[in-house]
Amino acid sequence: MMRTEQRNLLKGLAFISPWLIGFAVFTALPLGLSLYYSFCDYSLLQPPVYIGTANYQELWRDPDFWKTLGNTFYYASLALPLGMIMALGAAMLLNVKTRGTSIYRTIVFLPSLVPAVASAMVWLWLLNAKLGLINAFLIWVGVDNPPSWLEDVRWAMPALVLMSLWGVGNTVVIYLAGLQDVPRELYEAADLDGAGTMQKMMNVTLPVLSPVIFFNLIIAIIGTLQVFVGPSIMTGASGNPEKSTYFYTMHLYNHAFQFLHMGYASAMAWVQLLIVLVLTGVAFWTSKRWVHYQGK
Amino acid sequence: MKSIKAFLIAILVIPALGLILFGPRSEFQLPDNRIVVVDYWEKWTGDEAMQMQQIVDEFNNTVGKEKNIYVRYVSASSITQKTLVATAAGVPPDIAGLWDRDMVQFASLDALEPMDEMAAAHGITSATYKPVYWKACTYEGKLYGLISTPADVALHYNKRAIRESAPALRAAGFDPDRLPETIDELDAWATILTKKDSNGRIQQAGYLPIEPGWYLAYTPLWFGGQIWDAKNEKFTLTDPKVVQAYQWIQSYSHRLGKEAMTGFKSGLGNFDSPQNAFLAGTVVMEQQGPWMANYIYNLKPGLSTVKWPREVEMTKPLAERRENYEWGAAAFPSAVPGLKDVTYAGFDILLIPRGAKYKKEAFEFIAYINRQDVMEKLCKLHCKNSPLANVSDDFLNNHPNPYINVFERLANSPNAHGVPQIPIFAEVMQELDTLTQSITQLRADPETGLAAAQVRLQAKYDQYMKRQRLRRATQR
Repeated sequence: MMRTEQRNLLKGLAFISPWLIGFAVFTALPLGLSLYYSFCDYSLLQPPVYIGTANYQELWRDPDFWKTLGNTFYYASLALPLGMIMALGAAMLLNVKTRGTSIYRTIVFLPSLVPAVASAMVWLWLLNAKLGLINAFLIWVGVDNPPSWLEDVRWAMPALVLMSLWGVGNTVVIYLAGLQDVPRELYEAADLDGAGTMQKMMNVTLPVLSPVIFFNLIIAIIGTLQVFVGPSIMTGASGNPEKSTYFYTMHLYNHAFQFLHMGYASAMAWVQLLIVLVLTGVAFWTSKRWVHYQGK
Repeated sequence: MKSIKAFLIAILVIPALGLILFGPRSEFQLPDNRIVVVDYWEKWTGDEAMQMQQIVDEFNNTVGKEKNIYVRYVSASSITQKTLVATAAGVPPDIAGLWDRDMVQFASLDALEPMDEMAAAHGITSATYKPVYWKACTYEGKLYGLISTPADVALHYNKRAIRESAPALRAAGFDPDRLPETIDELDAWATILTKKDSNGRIQQAGYLPIEPGWYLAYTPLWFGGQIWDAKNEKFTLTDPKVVQAYQWIQSYSHRLGKEAMTGFKSGLGNFDSPQNAFLAGTVVMEQQGPWMANYIYNLKPGLSTVKWPREVEMTKPLAERRENYEWGAAAFPSAVPGLKDVTYAGFDILLIPRGAKYKKEAFEFIAYINRQDVMEKLCKLHCKNSPLANVSDDFLNNHPNPYINVFERLANSPNAHGVPQIPIFAEVMQELDTLTQSITQLRADPETGLAAAQVRLQAKYDQYMKRQRLRRATQR
């Protein structure tokens, strides 16, 4: 390496050093330590003691581990596809050139600017079985016995899914940007071929948009598997009623900071990471079949 | 090129220098002649935080001034987690104001400084406190904390609702002026005081165990049972008295109807609002602590100023003062004949975390709080009873809660119990909360549910203790 190159390298490293140091201290080191703690009995207040794979074995036997894992997958299986479809649908509607488009776009995006805590408080009232607007509406349209939502084991999870749909504004914006990137000439060619609206959507819009859908899918997988703030506020740290909304990340947090089992919580975090990695890997593997990049 | 470089450097360096030279400074400035700053973190917010600030200020202007100690008071939410992280990092506050349940968890992990010697040096002994509170501040023979303010639980009742149902109560053979003393009587009163509309929807509940539901885990106490045998380190959830307590909780779901009860509960307002079920009169009787008087006065003053404004009331004798209230407090009924004045005695506790910089000075402040005059002042401000064995006449007669002698009597009772001293109490509470929800929703049989919880919790406790013993053996 020449002296100039060496100097440039040093300069480059110096410029990215804040990020490098931040990454090393706040990400890489905690990541490494948490892996070590996952093999330890560690309460935060006493030094860690190595116990081998005991935490992982305990996970296997912990009914709450399976319960929270099941709840999280149940939530993801509803919130993820519904969120994706709703965001895509909203983006397509907002992509239509009509009067007041920018106002509609702002309205759709606004809820994602509301802090998670504030939005959870609003939804607590909306979902109130007796005084909530949602049940007031249901009664008005003729539903005799509207659900008790957050008080009812059967309805608490759908209520949280419903709430999650309110914050799809971010995803809508990304879809909207993707939709505006679809080349006009492809639609013109489809028109010449006599394609209808549905055919254009299936054969032009969705294939061109597939990289954006794929990106949103990955983000949604990670997001739904880490759901925490909304349920913690709305249904309590134990996911009431009867742990029906007790999510994996809430169980992890409780073990780390309420029960002081940081070693166990670290093991849970690594299992969660593995699950996310596997699901993301599966998504990447299937993407070869349905994601189409322009220029390829 | 050079000038661009210089410009870029300048726009980075100039603001940085500006921030260093003229940027924001800490508002805190150590008063003259003070050598030690004691950091005190407390959980309270709002009025309670301000009232404690008043006490801290008085300390700083008196004892603190004499002894060159300055207490820096910080009111913080999620106090347990913040103290936990700070202690783990080796930079804890000198004093942490935590919950009663936190003490044993921290002490069992060697995260607290014992206070025995410092307390003895200040003349604070078991004789200073009411027995229930002293016992709860001691773990494995060591004193780990002293109380900032205590409380205990009593039956609160709405006089107006009882007056309106007086004929029905009399017809059932009850004296409306003599409150229920047994659980059977409470249930009978609750049935009479419960009002439903034509659709079967509850409009007013006489009593509802799940409102506010904060003390459900302690229900076995009123049935003569306990969930924990400290001597043998065993859970006792299958004890027939504990089972009976949970069956009683479930009996309300059978009596009122599960759906009707859930619907009613979900329509109740927030605790800290005028829509609070007790304040709104939708729940006639409930379990609450002495501080409820403050909430009632602040949120619905009409219930505490029936005859006179507060300043006039305070000039009258205690018995007469009670006429000014549309609510009252009495010992919660018991299910066991002869078992009287049963209560759960909870408290807020001041602890010195391991690694605190100024332990001795921190204890000076804790000892100051535990002076009778200071403790009574703070407890009056917070509207609570006193943890101290000696209580002045002024405290009893001029307390903002006209029923304070009920709470004092309960705290002095041999049937007053503190939080069970279980290091894994947070897990116990989670397990019992979930079980109670299943029981009230009629999805679990109390006996079966408690038996399953017994097995799970005992296994968790045994494993916790096994690891702690192993750790201690290794350290030796």
